[in-house]
Amino acid sequence: MRIGIACPYSFDVPGGVQFHVRDLAEHFMGDGHDVSVLAPADSETELPSYVTSAGRATAVRYNGSVARLNFGPVTAAKVGRWLEQGDFDVLHLHEPMTPSVSVLALMAAEGPIVATFHTSMLRSRTMQTAYPLLRPSLEKIAGRIAVSEDARRTVTTHVGGDAVVIPNGVYVDRFADAPRRAEWLGRPSAPTIAFLGRMGEPRKGLPVLAAALPEVLRDVPGLRVLVAGPGDPDEVTEGWPPEVTAACDFLGSVSDADKASLLASVDVYVAPNTGGESFGIILIEAMSAGACVLASDLPAFSRVLDGGGAGAMFANEKPDELARTLVALLRDPRHRLDLATAGQERARLFDWSVVADKIMAVYETVIEGRMASQWEPERRWGRFLPGRAGR
Amino acid sequence: MTELLTWVFAALFVLVIIAWYLSYTAARLDRLHVRLGGTLAALDARLVRRAEAAVELAHSGLLDGATSLLLASAAGESLEAPAEHGEAREQAESDLTEALDLTLTPAVVQSLRETPQGQDLVERVTSACTRVQLARRFHNDAVTDVRRVRRKWTIRMFHLAGHTPMPGTVEFDDEMPAPLAS
Repeated sequence: MRIGIACPYSFDVPGGVQFHVRDLAEHFMGDGHDVSVLAPADSETELPSYVTSAGRATAVRYNGSVARLNFGPVTAAKVGRWLEQGDFDVLHLHEPMTPSVSVLALMAAEGPIVATFHTSMLRSRTMQTAYPLLRPSLEKIAGRIAVSEDARRTVTTHVGGDAVVIPNGVYVDRFADAPRRAEWLGRPSAPTIAFLGRMGEPRKGLPVLAAALPEVLRDVPGLRVLVAGPGDPDEVTEGWPPEVTAACDFLGSVSDADKASLLASVDVYVAPNTGGESFGIILIEAMSAGACVLASDLPAFSRVLDGGGAGAMFANEKPDELARTLVALLRDPRHRLDLATAGQERARLFDWSVVADKIMAVYETVIEGRMASQWEPERRWGRFLPGRAGR
Repeated sequence: MTELLTWVFAALFVLVIIAWYLSYTAARLDRLHVRLGGTLAALDARLVRRAEAAVELAHSGLLDGATSLLLASAAGESLEAPAEHGEAREQAESDLTEALDLTLTPAVVQSLRETPQGQDLVERVTSACTRVQLARRFHNDAVTDVRRVRRKWTIRMFHLAGHTPMPGTVEFDDEMPAPLAS
């Protein structure tokens, strides 16, 4: 099967959607399908062979966070060419409401289209103004996938209709087999915890963790906090108490292998995200690696953690509660082990082999629907519609 | 004279815009109707395949006689149901879902999975049920889209939908038997 996948976010920086697209593409190629991915990327960024660059991305504030997107007439032309050359059996668009290559592909394409909605945080103002422009194009999507119940709710309330919930996938084994790293392993006197994510972005929750740390350090003075993710430590730590800054090790951006080792080594992985997470793939990665997870009680996180059975939770944006739960976990290795074991078991449900089969079933259903109604846009009223680049 | 020409051109311009808008809307609706026809045909095909998988399971000899009979008759009803998507068809499909649910109890699924043939049948039924769910959801999505567009006043006023009947969602129970869902 020839599959075209469009990703709106730049491959220059890591992110949940980008990883999802990459892993999905690699899984399908492993199954012998022909996959081409279109995404924004800088010319210097090294891309896997199956990714076509849609050109340099621009950092834009959209829907409450800074995203690196790609738009404009040159990009539109590139998208058209990609569709024409690819001649795809199915086109899979990610985040079709983000003003980037996905939207352009949606407007230009005519074949069977599947769209995956990742975000659960569409602002209603954005929706009201942008919607009429998108409506006719969105009607072309034959199969809608939402990565979580929250994302699905966004679809039902803002877009209308329904979506099939297919969660994000993780290569569980890659994380489960990750070697532990001595320098990240905790000792009873000096346990380690990890934070992962862009430091400068408040909704990733680093400020919440920082606010909780003075209290934690009072009870567990030897604690080391390993902070991994892009961002400038000096800028982020401004105004933090000196003992908190001293307890933190800033690792910068880490490779996938290092991330897996980090998660496998630390005593507790903390995810203090304050919102905007529709799924929380990082929790599943941590669970796969065998880490004990402590996360804020966002609905998405709660579902992944099975309501607390596969990881501990604390009230969102409450540093004192985070501190209390964290100290209790650090003092109870037995409970940590129980949670980690339950987490690793649960992570299997989200393995790519399971998830990709479901996505393939969606492709087949959509293609079958299209075959049953061979519509020729050149004839009848179709010629009045814009965008017939992809057959 | 020039003023008259200006007015004539202005009027022509407005007419062209209106004509373009109407044909564009008609095209959009046409595309939706085509999508609708496709999703309905796909749902049909999926339902037939599910019924066939059920028949095969009933005839496999791996179930007890009474259960086989129950499942085979429900599947037969589904296969014989008229192509019309009316209440009778929906009832037949709900009945088949119920029959599958009654047949495939946890114990039965476990014993089926012990033989390669049974394992294969269980997988076929599971896959068929998943695909029925997908096809029905995608069809109902298309129905929702069509109904929303057809409520637009331009479409009602200019009869752009022609004599195509207003579609309705297809409602029947397509819940997967619990032991297969994991």
